Amino acid sequence: MTRIISFLGQRLLFIVPQLFGILLVSFFLIKSIPGDPAVLMLGPMASTDAVVSLRTKLGLDHALPIQFWHFLVNLVHGDLGTSWQTTRPVLEDLLQRFPATLELVTLGLLGAIIIGVPLGVASAFDEKGILGRVAGVYGLTAGSLPDFWLALVLIFVFYTILQIVPAPLGRLDFAILPPPTISGFLIFDSIAAGDWAALGSALTHLCLPVLTLSLINAGPILKMTQSTMDRMLQSDFSRYEVLSGLPHRMVVRHALRNSLPSIVTIISVLYGYLLGGAVLVEIVFSWGGAGQYAVQGVLNSDIYPVLGFVLFSAIFSLIVYLIVDIVYVAIDPRIGR
Amino acid sequence: MDKQRLLRNGPSRMDEWMSTSSTVATPSWIGTALRIASARPSFAAGYIIVFVAVLAGALAPLVAPYNPIEADPSQFLQPPNRLHWLGTDAVGMDIFSRVLYGPRIDITIAVLGTMVSATVGCLVGAWVGYFSRAGNFRSRIAFLIMRLADVLQAFPVFVFAIALVASLGQSIQTVVFAIAFVNIPIYLRLMRSQVMAIREMRYVEASLVAGMSDMQTILRHVIPNAMGPALAQLSVNVGWSILLTAGLSFVGAGVRAPSPEWGSMIATGFQNVVTGEWWPSVFPGLALAITVFGFSLVGNSVEVFGDPVKIRRLIRDVTLRERTRAARRRA
Amino acid sequence: MLKLSDRVQATAASSDARPTFDIRGLTVEFPAITGVPTVAIRNLDLRIERGEIFGLVGESGAGKTTLARSLLRLPPEPGRIAGGELLFEGQDIMSLTEVELQRTRGRDISMIVPNPRSELNPLLTVGEQIANVAQVHLRVSRREARGLALDILRAVQIPDPERRMTAFPHEMSGGMAQRIVIAIALICSPKFIVSDDATSGLDVTVQAQILELLRRLAQDRGSAMLFITRDIGITAHFCDRVAVIYNGEIMELAGREDFFFRPAHPYTIMLMAAFSYNQSLRRLWARPEPLPGAKVHDSACPYTLRCPLAQERCRIDRPALREIAPGHYASCHFPVRR
Repeated sequence: MTRIISFLGQRLLFIVPQLFGILLVSFFLIKSIPGDPAVLMLGPMASTDAVVSLRTKLGLDHALPIQFWHFLVNLVHGDLGTSWQTTRPVLEDLLQRFPATLELVTLGLLGAIIIGVPLGVASAFDEKGILGRVAGVYGLTAGSLPDFWLALVLIFVFYTILQIVPAPLGRLDFAILPPPTISGFLIFDSIAAGDWAALGSALTHLCLPVLTLSLINAGPILKMTQSTMDRMLQSDFSRYEVLSGLPHRMVVRHALRNSLPSIVTIISVLYGYLLGGAVLVEIVFSWGGAGQYAVQGVLNSDIYPVLGFVLFSAIFSLIVYLIVDIVYVAIDPRIGR
Repeated sequence: MDKQRLLRNGPSRMDEWMSTSSTVATPSWIGTALRIASARPSFAAGYIIVFVAVLAGALAPLVAPYNPIEADPSQFLQPPNRLHWLGTDAVGMDIFSRVLYGPRIDITIAVLGTMVSATVGCLVGAWVGYFSRAGNFRSRIAFLIMRLADVLQAFPVFVFAIALVASLGQSIQTVVFAIAFVNIPIYLRLMRSQVMAIREMRYVEASLVAGMSDMQTILRHVIPNAMGPALAQLSVNVGWSILLTAGLSFVGAGVRAPSPEWGSMIATGFQNVVTGEWWPSVFPGLALAITVFGFSLVGNSVEVFGDPVKIRRLIRDVTLRERTRAARRRA
Repeated sequence: MLKLSDRVQATAASSDARPTFDIRGLTVEFPAITGVPTVAIRNLDLRIERGEIFGLVGESGAGKTTLARSLLRLPPEPGRIAGGELLFEGQDIMSLTEVELQRTRGRDISMIVPNPRSELNPLLTVGEQIANVAQVHLRVSRREARGLALDILRAVQIPDPERRMTAFPHEMSGGMAQRIVIAIALICSPKFIVSDDATSGLDVTVQAQILELLRRLAQDRGSAMLFITRDIGITAHFCDRVAVIYNGEIMELAGREDFFFRPAHPYTIMLMAAFSYNQSLRRLWARPEPLPGAKVHDSACPYTLRCPLAQERCRIDRPALREIAPGHYASCHFPVRR
């Protein structure tokens, strides 16, 4: 147990310089995007004096390293800066939008796991069978589909033609008031408030984007499950189990257990990736999530939303990887003891 | 003793009972390829798709019935018909012609980006892997490079790519650069882990003992033996880069409309899909999906050819098929 | 020594004449991309009598592992059993269904594998792995299976067996892991054990201990054993009958005394000479290795290229295994006699 703690301690030591590096790179990257926020904020008709005074107010007249230093000092005090597009503190914006993205991505990933892992196991179980063939084709196809295009096709089928889901505009119907925010996850909040209309609306709005993300991301999970299971079933120890006369089911079960570290890894990588990677789906469904917020920031020289988003998602990925490392220790006796 | 034997039997006699291969003639390259294709039709499909896509791009000016960026406002949003096989978009551009021109931009960007990232990533990765346990100044640089890769990989890929394109100005070159940049860590890591294993091999030691410099050893012995996984990654990576290119254009940070690029075509057709005109978005998306599918099939085949276990299974399947077919013919 | 051979003859005479394992015309092929398969085991006949320990010696590539695994109908990938019968207690292994086959493996016929540390599942404790086999084949409860596992760990003389039950394979030495694999092979008291190069990779002292243990346990349980090895010296101490395999065919087969005192096949003599201090003897019987890829024609004796006694006939006429003295077989036109 103490070893696990010292292992985690080592990991945490690396996180601080890593976060610093991420912020440094993104700060200078966004700053190098042409376009003066002061001019963009005031519009093209503003007088030079107004622009200059705004630049001073925003601290834009300082040299870049000093601006970065100011950002870091503010960060330590819990201030992530202000977005000139929404004119609100970035922290507030993110606290509102991050749960939206997280809810979407988590459900999408869960769906992907539910599709991917059993199919992968089934295809390793019976390579030449129907399920094996379906899994083989699916694994190849899913990775080739552009998610934003699949989202469009789903909208066309389920909204335009069948009309069984609401229009792809946000997380709730316009007519429905959002439940009081507790966690930011609409499903939890509406259940907590006992607001069944909001829950129903939230669920129907979640349907298509979650389905899109599940269908697409089941691909990599399926492939990883399939190839690792395949390798494990070909391995010396599986062959030895067969030679020892253990039943096929037991051999497959053991192979699955030995495959778990790889499967967990791909899931964690996908989770981290999807925070920013689901942005195209967010845009298609006007989700108003954190990814969309950051992309708007990049496209409009609005630096603080981008930095905030990068910081949030980096911390989130680090937490996920940390959990994964703990899971490894639990699964594999060779690690960390 | 051997000489006497030879004299006694004569060389012709030797030939008769000693042959380096079996009695059947060595099969031709094409013959082997065809036999593999019959056992793994998906491999053949992959190469054919990629070939057709590249051909479509190359011959687009000859084949396309319309100018891809010429709008005919009188012909807007026509469903697929005899004049416009895949219909027209909201400003009246012919979708079939635009889809044909697509590979020119998408495949070019993706292939260039992948090549650049693979070259840089593999060279740096080999260097880093070779020196990371050297315990001197160079190993410290290697350590720093890996931490930098960590930082770059901690970025959300898509936001990072958009930021790169935005800061360098929108053009095809910047998209290539952005794609190359976000892919470098993949090759860097693959190569590093391979090289770190190969570094311990005796033949590397032997090469150093024989007086070769570190650089000569890396180039002659280490890199050729470590290339396998990176090569298998290439084709899949091209497919993925095509998706990324299209995604960038979809949010307006890549190739600008009205250039005939699949992602931006899907984006411009977005509003029409919601109102029921599906063709401006669906056809470029299909072309995109099929092309990426082709590249991942090719990647699959490369992976199989590079893996002794998988190639053994392939050989078994090829021979089994032929045996059953021969048996059926006899029956 | 005398006692041992007496025992063999006694068992052969007393019980019914049916051998424990009777291999008839076994052929195993490996498909090649050229279309002409490589034959790893060619039309091989072998009878393993009840309770005997049968030694099979061969160099690497001779087909030892292929033969061992084919007896359990699981030849190495992508090999295929192309023909022959594998009669175990009169029942043909080739005709069993998958389920029957699974029940036979590990319970009636078990296998001892080489390099056991990579053959054991790295994520399960050795106790679990032994108990699994017992639970599946003996249909006992989990608790009883654990008890049996503990007993067998004691029997293979593992120190502190209670603690070893919860150890993982990576925590064991090679010799320890080899004992675990032997324990798994013996826990169901099988009628037939195939040992494939079980003691390669072990220190010589450990090797001797493990062989002694293996012989005693096999005899206690009345199991017959096919002991496959590349070390001809081991068979001299350990086996009742010995055969030499080369290129997938039996070259010579005899009782231990005959085999070591009156070897007849040039290949056997070469193998023995290789252990000798006598340089000239070695030089006399060994010839330079043929070039890689050099193959003899199907109608020639497979050993021609390396045989110092090869003559015209050897290149045209492939010799068959024939009895050159009672119980002594050789596959050679010109066996050495003295």
